[in-house]
Amino acid sequence: MSTGTLSDDDFAGSSDYDDFDSQEEGSDLEYEQTEDIGFSDMITEKQRRKAYQVDFSVLPLSDIVSAQASASSHVAGILGMTQDQAAALLRNFKWNKERLVERYMDHAQEILDKAGVVLDDVHTPQVKRPRGFVCMICFDDSSAGPAFGLRCGHVFCQPCYEHYLRQKIVEEGECRRILCPETGCNVVVDEPTIKKVVPAAVMSKYRQLQDRVYVSDLDNLVWCPAPNCEYAIECRLSHSSFTTIVPTVSCDCGHKFCFNCTLDDHQPAPCGLVKMWKKKCADDSETANWISAHTKECSKCQSTIEKNGGCNHMTCRKCKYEFCWVCMGPWSEHGTSWYNCNRFEESSSADARDQQAKSRASLERYLHYYNRYANHEHSAKLDRDLYTKTEKKMEEMQRTSDLSWIEVQFLKRAVDVLTSCRMTLRWTYAFAFYLARNNMTELFEDNQRDLEVAVEALSELLEKPIEREKIAELRQQVLDKTVYVESRREVVLEDTAKGLVDGRWEFFVDFNK
Amino acid sequence: MSGICRSRLAEERKQWRKDHPFGFYARPEKKSDGTLDLMNWQVGIPGKPSTPWEGGVYKLVLIFPEDYPSKPPKCKFVPPLFHPNVYPSGTVCLSILNEEEGWKPAITIKQHGPLFNPALPSHFYQILLGIQDLLNDPNPESPAQSEAYVMFKKDKVSYEKRVRQQAKENTA
Repeated sequence: MSTGTLSDDDFAGSSDYDDFDSQEEGSDLEYEQTEDIGFSDMITEKQRRKAYQVDFSVLPLSDIVSAQASASSHVAGILGMTQDQAAALLRNFKWNKERLVERYMDHAQEILDKAGVVLDDVHTPQVKRPRGFVCMICFDDSSAGPAFGLRCGHVFCQPCYEHYLRQKIVEEGECRRILCPETGCNVVVDEPTIKKVVPAAVMSKYRQLQDRVYVSDLDNLVWCPAPNCEYAIECRLSHSSFTTIVPTVSCDCGHKFCFNCTLDDHQPAPCGLVKMWKKKCADDSETANWISAHTKECSKCQSTIEKNGGCNHMTCRKCKYEFCWVCMGPWSEHGTSWYNCNRFEESSSADARDQQAKSRASLERYLHYYNRYANHEHSAKLDRDLYTKTEKKMEEMQRTSDLSWIEVQFLKRAVDVLTSCRMTLRWTYAFAFYLARNNMTELFEDNQRDLEVAVEALSELLEKPIEREKIAELRQQVLDKTVYVESRREVVLEDTAKGLVDGRWEFFVDFNK
Repeated sequence: MSGICRSRLAEERKQWRKDHPFGFYARPEKKSDGTLDLMNWQVGIPGKPSTPWEGGVYKLVLIFPEDYPSKPPKCKFVPPLFHPNVYPSGTVCLSILNEEEGWKPAITIKQHGPLFNPALPSHFYQILLGIQDLLNDPNPESPAQSEAYVMFKKDKVSYEKRVRQQAKENTA
């Protein structure tokens, strides 16, 4: 666990730390250790957290496996079957124990068939080829080698059966309802049969799929989306609350993401807003940029016009209005000056440009927010690059000066904070884009500006060349700024999160549809 | 199961030659050297009697993958057909032709004694009869081309007229 602890370190170092009493600190430490506790008996913290934080826990794969085992052994006890059989039934009921037990009392056979569970030994799959057997998949009629058939009596040879199951499991990723290979037959292949037919590697894939399905079946669990990360996150908030809460969680692998939509952390913007913004950007941003750069609107009918050659005398194809491309004023006042326009100050052209400006305003408004949004993403990348460069420098410093490893770590932390602040800032622009203008907006923008100024100051500081004799001074400055930036970020997040819960923000779109 | 593809297709061909439904045809294409290419078939499906599709024989190519019978063949009308469930490329959208839906590798020949053998179900049988059923019974849940789908939904009269016209253009 490397950066997983960061968030706790972070607010321990922040100026808001005083808000927390010692008891709270204790519980935070305890919280760090809860990862080994089985999640069924995990105690969710009831203590006060910051408004933008949610309670969650990180579960390793072993917990996921043991949670399934404990649920199925419980049900197995009630229904009088083996644990594997109970697990198969539970998988068909999305691990809802109560509903399974209740339904099982009335429709036992139906439920067993649906899950492909065979309770008595009579129906175990055949392993001997019947007389005159021809496998209906490969049409092989030799009598050597095993064959399998479920209670439906459709028997196929071992290689065909294995190939079929392998394809279903490995290629199609199916683990809940693999049906008999016969056309139209709906008998489910039961787990013991699968185990008998496929090699161990495919079986382990099958088990892995079961774990995956378990997590996706339960609303309060998600896998960490980071590559190769095997942790799952549990969060017990109801999904309806995610319209007003942004459930950012951070996995023990260091990845910070939204529990609801599993995208990278997008605080303070709620998921619905993020979705809408992303769609808008995918649809519009490039087009809008192009339109903004290459076209103007006809001052009369507002048609978008691209000038692709010729002189400044424009005739709108739609309304036939004649105007000057340079000053946007009516052509009638231009006479014969086709290639130059010196009439910029004329009132009629000024009016035309005003008109133009108004129709462009909404486009420009979008681009204003989009460019800032995109810029922070880009800058965060540059900060990372800077960090790798500086890291090398710091290594050199360690070798040539008396600074120790621990003393140069401030830089890594500064870049981490900087990156997360840029991510927050980035989403504040999407947030602001949809915000209807009122007094609250100004407060929000003040906070946003303060964070932005602080972030840029820190960024600038990090770009300074490192000089040996000034390193202590730089270190102090960076540390101070880091703490300050972090506290500004807290302010933004705290305020927006509270505002969302209180319904204080007014958006001009409804993104919770 | 690699390598069973060709032997399985040879078996399917045997069954088809022994018996197949009236009005249908299915033959493997010839390779340039004159041998049969069992992986690519030309088939013809007649429209059902007393439907607007009657009188037409609709041509398809069936392209079998190396993974057959684990995976279904690709079935494509040549030329593309005016039908709500046929893609503009001619490819047919049908659940039994989708390995994640209705496709199964096995289709058992029911044996009713040595003398009486009414129908021999095979994949050919299943696919061709399945597509024949689809002709006059399109599935509005999965449209594959807008032209036929929109007309089928909005203007049944013109739709049927167009289908009859198509039948005339596709007589055997």
